[in-house]
Amino acid sequence: MQSVVLKGTKDGYELILKETASVREILVDLKQLLEGLGEESEKGKDQLHLNVQMGNRLMSEDDKNDIIKLVDDYDNLVIDNFLSNVITREESAKIMSENNVEVMSRVIRNGQEVNVDGDVLFFGKIHEGGKLIATGNVFNMGVIEGIVQAGCPDDESKLIIGNLHTAQQVRVGEQYDIVADRPIEDSEKTVVYVNDLHVLSYGKIKNLKEINPKFFNRIGGIE
Amino acid sequence: MGKAIVITSGKGGVGKTTSSANIGIALAMMGKRVCLIDLDIGLRNLDVVMGLDNRVMYDIVDVATGRVKLVQAMVKDKRFDDLLYLLPAAQNTDKTALNEEQVKSIVDELKPDFDYVFIDCPAGIEQGFINAVSGADGAIVVTTPEISAVRDADRVIGLLEQHPLQETPKLIINRIRKSLMEDDNYMDVDEITTHLGIDLLGIILDDDKVISTSNNGESIVMNPDNPTAQGYRNVARRLEGETVPLMKIDVQKESAWDKFKHLFKRN
Repeated sequence: MQSVVLKGTKDGYELILKETASVREILVDLKQLLEGLGEESEKGKDQLHLNVQMGNRLMSEDDKNDIIKLVDDYDNLVIDNFLSNVITREESAKIMSENNVEVMSRVIRNGQEVNVDGDVLFFGKIHEGGKLIATGNVFNMGVIEGIVQAGCPDDESKLIIGNLHTAQQVRVGEQYDIVADRPIEDSEKTVVYVNDLHVLSYGKIKNLKEINPKFFNRIGGIE
Repeated sequence: MGKAIVITSGKGGVGKTTSSANIGIALAMMGKRVCLIDLDIGLRNLDVVMGLDNRVMYDIVDVATGRVKLVQAMVKDKRFDDLLYLLPAAQNTDKTALNEEQVKSIVDELKPDFDYVFIDCPAGIEQGFINAVSGADGAIVVTTPEISAVRDADRVIGLLEQHPLQETPKLIINRIRKSLMEDDNYMDVDEITTHLGIDLLGIILDDDKVISTSNNGESIVMNPDNPTAQGYRNVARRLEGETVPLMKIDVQKESAWDKFKHLFKRN
């Protein structure tokens, strides 16, 4: 059986690499396949986009580059993506932590910056000059007198929920507010979000469904 | 085996050196063997405050680089018969002249011979701070009731917590002014202590005599009646493990009678 098969799917063309074949075998077979293909598609000048399906294996960047180099010789063929059924442990840990809610009850002091992947449930205290920066949402049940950011670096769909009226700054994605200039109500039910006009806004927990329906559904909200 | 305690603050001018000298003397007066190390290299003051500046022969950099032995560089305070010593800082170089290992080995060499080794830390959080902290078993953070000093204390406590010493840091609130205690905008002792979230070791009242005594190379703590001296003696007793209640700050309120007298005076 050939180690490389070209297959048409509803999303376009896929080069399927046999996962038991060595990279050298694949390169030889791919060259052969491309030569045949080149002759056929010479007439139609349309560009053909390919995805490479690696099956149950991951290839090194060098091997991927060898494949890209081979395909580059043909003007009308472009590789879009390398696909695989598997991911590395590192990547899986990252995905896990992104969906995880980290519970934190420490003191973040002046000059300290705490970065978190995913959501944070915060019970501690952020002193003036301290920073809590999360890639996900921030749920505050502690005291924030410093700076808090959700959706770092640029995810504007994230929220900060809790009492924030003592904070120095609140930031969601790339939007920020200096609390001294625009006071926040002293309430545990505050929701900080970025609205459709990309402006930081303040709402109430009871309006969460309107503010961010996706988040509302994720936490299992019912009507 | 003695204990090495670093006295630090982050901000300058809050009274690290004065506190080092006074706590050291208070403990020596209690009969403890104390060594004070000045690590403010390039801007040394502890020798001046102690009145020992004209006795300095060698300094800590000489010891660290092996030019002299540790005992040769130590200056004895003659007021306290063999109890109080000072290891002065160098004046002709800067904070980068020492590294952590050198300071640590000097402190470790001193600890068996003394009950307390106090390390007077320079202001800032650079090499000088790192050196001072590296040899210490515990830390005393000095602050004043000012927002800038409290912020810097917060920063320093954060740094100390990142590389924890054997003992958790303790707080001294220095330069408390009685006349301002009633002002609502003034930060009070409770507020500062709860904000910083570490144990309070003592409070020290502000007194003009602190400056006048140290200008003469004497120390306020040797004055038996002074409330500031009382504060330092209380700190020393608490370090020794005694339970000493916190000094009451009695604000002298003007009574109706006093006001009446004032009126009378003006006329």
